[in-house]
Amino acid sequence: MWSSEWLILLVGLPFLGSLLTALLPSHSRSAANWLAGAMALACFGIAISAYSSVTDGMVVRHQVEWVPHLGLSLTLRLDGFAWMFSMLITGIGALVILYARYYMSPKDPVVRFYALLLAFMGAMQGLVVSGNIILLAVFWELTSIFSFLLIGYWHHNQAARDGARMALTITGAGGLCLLAGMVLLGQIVGSYDLDVVLQSGDLIRASDLYLPTLLLILAGALTKSAQFPFHFWLPNAMAAPTPVSAYLHSATMVKAGVFLLTRFWPVLSGTDAWFFIVGFAGLSTLLIGAYFAIFQHDLKGLLAYSTISHLGLVTTLLSLGSPLAAVAAIFHMVNHATFKASLFMAAGIIDHEAGTRDMRRLSGLFSFLPITATLAMVASAAMAGVPLLNGFLSKEMFFAETLEQHRASVLDTVTPYVATIAAAFAVTYSIRLIHTVFFGPRASDLPKVPHEPPRWMRLPIELLVLACLVVGTIPGLSIGSYLDTAVVSVLGDATPVYSLSIWHGFNLPLAMSIVALLGGIVLYMALKSYLDWCEEGPPIFRRLKGQRIFERILVAVSWRWARVAERFLGTRRLQPQLRLIVVAAILAGVWAMWGARHLAPQLTISGVDPVLAMMWLVGGGCAVAAAYQAKFHRLAALIFLGVAGLVTCITFVWLSAPDLGVTQLLVEIVTTVLILLGLRWLPKRDDQIERHGFWVRLRRGRDFFIAVIAGAGMALLAYYMMMTPLPPSVGDYYLQHAYSEGGGTNVVNVILVDFRGFDTLGEIVVLAVVALTVFALLRRFRPAEDNSELPYQQREQNEYDSIQRDREVGETLKDYLLVPSVIMRWMFAAITLLAAYLFLRGHDLPGGGFAAGVAMAIGFLLQYLAGGTRWVEERLRIRPVQWIGFGLLAATATGLGSLTVGYPFLTSYFQYTEVPFIGGVPTASALFFDLGVFSLVVGATVLMLVAIAHQSLRAPKARPDRAVAERAAVEQGES
Amino acid sequence: MTGQFPQLIVAPIILPLIVGALLLFFDDRERRLKTSLAILSVVAQLAIGLTLLVGVHGSDDATALVYLLGNWPAPIAINLIADRLSSIMLVLGSLLAIPALVFATARWDKAGPHFHSMFQFMLVGINGAFLTGDLFNLFVFFEVMLAASYGLVLHGSGPARVKAGLHYIAINLAASLVFLIGIAMVFGATGSLNMAEISMRAAELEGFATPGLHVGLSMLGLAFLVKAAMWPLGNWLVPAYSASAGPVAAIMAILSKVGIYALIRLSLLVPAEGEVFGSLVIFIGGAATLVFASIGLLATQSIRTATAYLVMVSSGTILATLGLSEPASTTGALYYLVTSTLATGALFLLAELLERDQDPLSAMLFVTMEAFGETSQFDTAEEEIGRPMPQAAAILGAGFGILAMVLIGLPPLAGFLAKFAILHSVIGPGAQAMSEAVTMRLGLAALLIFSGLTALIALSRAGIRTFWAPVEPFTPRVSIVEVAPVLFLLGVIVLLSVYAGPAVDLMAATANDLHIPNGYLDAVLGAERVPPYAGGEE
Repeated sequence: MWSSEWLILLVGLPFLGSLLTALLPSHSRSAANWLAGAMALACFGIAISAYSSVTDGMVVRHQVEWVPHLGLSLTLRLDGFAWMFSMLITGIGALVILYARYYMSPKDPVVRFYALLLAFMGAMQGLVVSGNIILLAVFWELTSIFSFLLIGYWHHNQAARDGARMALTITGAGGLCLLAGMVLLGQIVGSYDLDVVLQSGDLIRASDLYLPTLLLILAGALTKSAQFPFHFWLPNAMAAPTPVSAYLHSATMVKAGVFLLTRFWPVLSGTDAWFFIVGFAGLSTLLIGAYFAIFQHDLKGLLAYSTISHLGLVTTLLSLGSPLAAVAAIFHMVNHATFKASLFMAAGIIDHEAGTRDMRRLSGLFSFLPITATLAMVASAAMAGVPLLNGFLSKEMFFAETLEQHRASVLDTVTPYVATIAAAFAVTYSIRLIHTVFFGPRASDLPKVPHEPPRWMRLPIELLVLACLVVGTIPGLSIGSYLDTAVVSVLGDATPVYSLSIWHGFNLPLAMSIVALLGGIVLYMALKSYLDWCEEGPPIFRRLKGQRIFERILVAVSWRWARVAERFLGTRRLQPQLRLIVVAAILAGVWAMWGARHLAPQLTISGVDPVLAMMWLVGGGCAVAAAYQAKFHRLAALIFLGVAGLVTCITFVWLSAPDLGVTQLLVEIVTTVLILLGLRWLPKRDDQIERHGFWVRLRRGRDFFIAVIAGAGMALLAYYMMMTPLPPSVGDYYLQHAYSEGGGTNVVNVILVDFRGFDTLGEIVVLAVVALTVFALLRRFRPAEDNSELPYQQREQNEYDSIQRDREVGETLKDYLLVPSVIMRWMFAAITLLAAYLFLRGHDLPGGGFAAGVAMAIGFLLQYLAGGTRWVEERLRIRPVQWIGFGLLAATATGLGSLTVGYPFLTSYFQYTEVPFIGGVPTASALFFDLGVFSLVVGATVLMLVAIAHQSLRAPKARPDRAVAERAAVEQGES
Repeated sequence: MTGQFPQLIVAPIILPLIVGALLLFFDDRERRLKTSLAILSVVAQLAIGLTLLVGVHGSDDATALVYLLGNWPAPIAINLIADRLSSIMLVLGSLLAIPALVFATARWDKAGPHFHSMFQFMLVGINGAFLTGDLFNLFVFFEVMLAASYGLVLHGSGPARVKAGLHYIAINLAASLVFLIGIAMVFGATGSLNMAEISMRAAELEGFATPGLHVGLSMLGLAFLVKAAMWPLGNWLVPAYSASAGPVAAIMAILSKVGIYALIRLSLLVPAEGEVFGSLVIFIGGAATLVFASIGLLATQSIRTATAYLVMVSSGTILATLGLSEPASTTGALYYLVTSTLATGALFLLAELLERDQDPLSAMLFVTMEAFGETSQFDTAEEEIGRPMPQAAAILGAGFGILAMVLIGLPPLAGFLAKFAILHSVIGPGAQAMSEAVTMRLGLAALLIFSGLTALIALSRAGIRTFWAPVEPFTPRVSIVEVAPVLFLLGVIVLLSVYAGPAVDLMAATANDLHIPNGYLDAVLGAERVPPYAGGEE
């Protein structure tokens, strides 16, 4: 018994070989060739040895789990049909590698070529032996990918790139559909196991999901096998090196589609949908392919269209739904692989020897290449369906099947006629191939003088042509039992009785053959002279190139339309984005409140304090004014904003939240001053802004409306929330435990440094990061050009100085605010003391590290304001970054302290410390934490201050070409 | 192991915080020291994350490890929770951080001050957001993360970066405001900030508290959706990400996922999910994001911008899948989240290598030629001899190809498995109730195929242009420090594919935890504090 582990080798060896080859140096031509050949032969050997295990419907399975949760396993499953394909893949693969040894130029760095070819072989081999339908889809897409890379092997050629991309787009898209189809199939059956699927035919056909499943699977199969209307990628794939065309695009990969159709034939076929879709695709492909093939001038183009046509033939057979037709389909797959691979190789030899593949230039090559010519003629005859060759047998079976009545319909009726016409076309293009290339006058203007190729280059063709002959003359003895093995594995009990003999007597199929043969000859005679001068492509359809249509559509949809749609659906402007967020918030609020209005508390206005109300009116008015002026008058807007902030502070105090009030006040002061300092460096006000136009008013009106809704909604929500009794909350806990466990009577501070010290730790990180960001941003910032000159106040002062006789220019500026600045300098000590006071009392009374830090920062701020940047920095070396670092470390270290005694991070500890002369002072570990906060706040605020202050030192440097300079600076990575 | 060292739960936050603060004391010229400290920190974070993951996934009894900060009692204290989901996210974050940081040492850390500190602080925020079980604390860590990201987006300066960065800041501030309003409403309604407690209390609310909670939750949802870049709220993402420096964009690939993380956490924890977080809204929003991002992907030329759109594609896919609200689909979404985040991160790094020397005009030219169909014919003389690629180009090309395959969803790597996992759970045998919501299911499946196809078209166009176009030989100048991070991420993706079995099992267990959060709730609400130290208090 053949061990199932061999299956792993059968699939794995090519991949292993691919990897090994890829590791070779790029010009080790011979080694790569030998390695690849050895791998292919080894696989061929394995495949041969498997035969006895797959006869009579026997199956070899090997399963390795991959993702059991998703039902995806590496199940390899070899049956007769897969075996037959394995033979083709490995056998023709080995021949192609031998052929490529002579075909590829000695200058070509072929390592990549062989690596890809082997990888493809592995993927294809995996595809045919997959026992899990998802695994099948995996290998399916892999063949698309490697095909893409192989078509694009000569990627310096435009045609190769285009062909590769088109093949990938079409087959890749098909593969995506196939995957979805396989998943649906799994849904119907309840498993991805191929054996289970194959036993569930009735279940599948009866399912609601049958049609979508079928369509998706067909999308995969028809794209891969280049069936109409997806056929056009295949001719373009001919830009690949000829060994690739011979291997992928005639013998193996394009067969994957029909392989799939055959594989699932027992469970998917037999329905109307199957018959009409598959039948229509197959029949039209059969005809169109054959017709187009006649009018190709490129040898490989002719073969490509012929391949399309033959695949259409197989598809048509599969569509019929009768077991006999399925037998014929399987038989024709093998036959086509043999004669078409040999023809491609012959075409490659001609191209190689003559230097061109253009049939208008090729002529009379028989005398140059008698042996190759003979081989090509035999293979072409097989392609045309001449008796005593394998192509004839399967074509006869095809004719016989088309005559049967399958499903009463127009499609069924026209089938035999179309089949005969297509067969006649096949005869025509086969004759044209032979006649133009090998006969006629000896071509004299060829790029090269042709010679017979090396013996070993011809050997693959000889073997394949021999196969055509042997099968064609003694089918029963040669291929009979093997074909039977394949057929039984697909059809099982439904295997019909069929005869492979050459002679079935005088019957209708034979008559059709004869008609086709004669018709083809006559057609060729009629067209001969036309073909010698006509343009490439069939008459009428010449301008209708699938490739061009595809490119056009792709560019239109994927580029032009996409760009328009992207611009329409998206925006890169800030205001619309912010507007969207506000509108979305309104909608979300309305949606969440919908139907719950009755639960909302009654809206009553009572107990209004007139003073507070007045203040709020002012504050609210200022906020609106700030928004109104923001775009036109920044200074005014800022002042309005300041007033609104102050009203907030007073409100906090009014509502008995002194701690918040103090902190808010300090923060208001610092931020307002910092922004004021920054205003100087913003671009000047743009007086050109339109304020009164209709559209402007409309836009602003709309935004105002949105803002009012959002604001009113927010106010309403806040009102409702405040009027709703608060459930027992953590706040109660804080109030109860602040002193007993946190050691402080200022609950706000205890929350900040203890209960929720972790939040504070995070917040100070935010502050640190923001300061560092501001610093980093402003360090590179060069003020706008219109700011480089002195402000007009200073200019006026200087002017005044220059007019006065007893004054030097700049003296007024120097004396500016002289008295206040002296006071401000002296304030430093007082402010420091205030900060210390705020800090120390913080745990019990309003204050704390944050407020103290801001106060301290104001001390520094005043020094900068009073003395100017240079003056301060000559006298005082502040290292804000170190303050920040120290603050973070101090706060974190306090938290870590508790770890040393086995408590979680930030567990606090407090006691009364005896201080001489003062007595017991409450000391909480939280104090050190607060010290960190203090240090950080000072550092961060001062860092931002310094960043802004330094603008004044840099301002004169403003350069017009700063954008360029900045870019250069980034590139150099200045430190 | 984690039982013995409970501090490991807080370590992913404290460690980068200390390192970031320490690095502030060193001058940027002491690069070697700063770099090694920073890298040491991220590697340690990975180790901690993995330990936590093994701790929660390996043991049967603990699905969530809880850490009470300040040793306050259970619902009061700010708590950190390491369960499967947060551990996975922690590991994912450090898996992305390590290569991004190493990559940055090649040149970007010199392009502005304090890069390394910023980077560490960002990790503080990311890790904190993944670990915390407290709503306000979540906000704090969001802010830490965002503040650091502001700095990092602006890192390196330049007009484009500053413009995109300032927009990014403004929009995120607006979203943060919405976040804060949401927290206030939730707190007002439930009196708690502890997410587990909120979910317990949500059922027993009276009067206006119920709609109040709903408003709060929908505000939170909105804020998270802005961060997750759901269309039409996510227009900020592409300009910001594509303007950022490569390594910054790479680590930011996880930032939008933090929004998704928060959404998952909250929506599956709060029982009112059906009404408030509106699976349908998330589904439709996700689907719209997917469509928009796919179109944007087609309309873009540069790989970097394409990658930014792929981040959006990833967000859209995850959101739409989560919209189905089934454990099976959540499993797929989680696996997809991990792989797509790693792949987009790696592609940002790679894009930087590919495009920094590129002439932007050549990209334009390429598409124009394609538009006019300037393709040569078969029989024009073409040289049929292959050309060797420079080794660097070959490695980058292979890397790009593999990443493209992962992001398109082509087999056999994790990207394919992720898409398959989603399909499997949505329309395959994994779908628990196929007959329900059929339109949604089929629609999602169709969108997945559509987005795969658009990615295929866009990425193959970009790849061909970069590696195959003959205009001038492509010889990138790269150093090993820049290639190694990309290879590292590729390696992780390969591992995720090979060991997809255990990985998907982990995601399935995680999804199960999320949909039946009893283990989480019990762990959080029943967490015990360390007994008070005898004589410690007076």
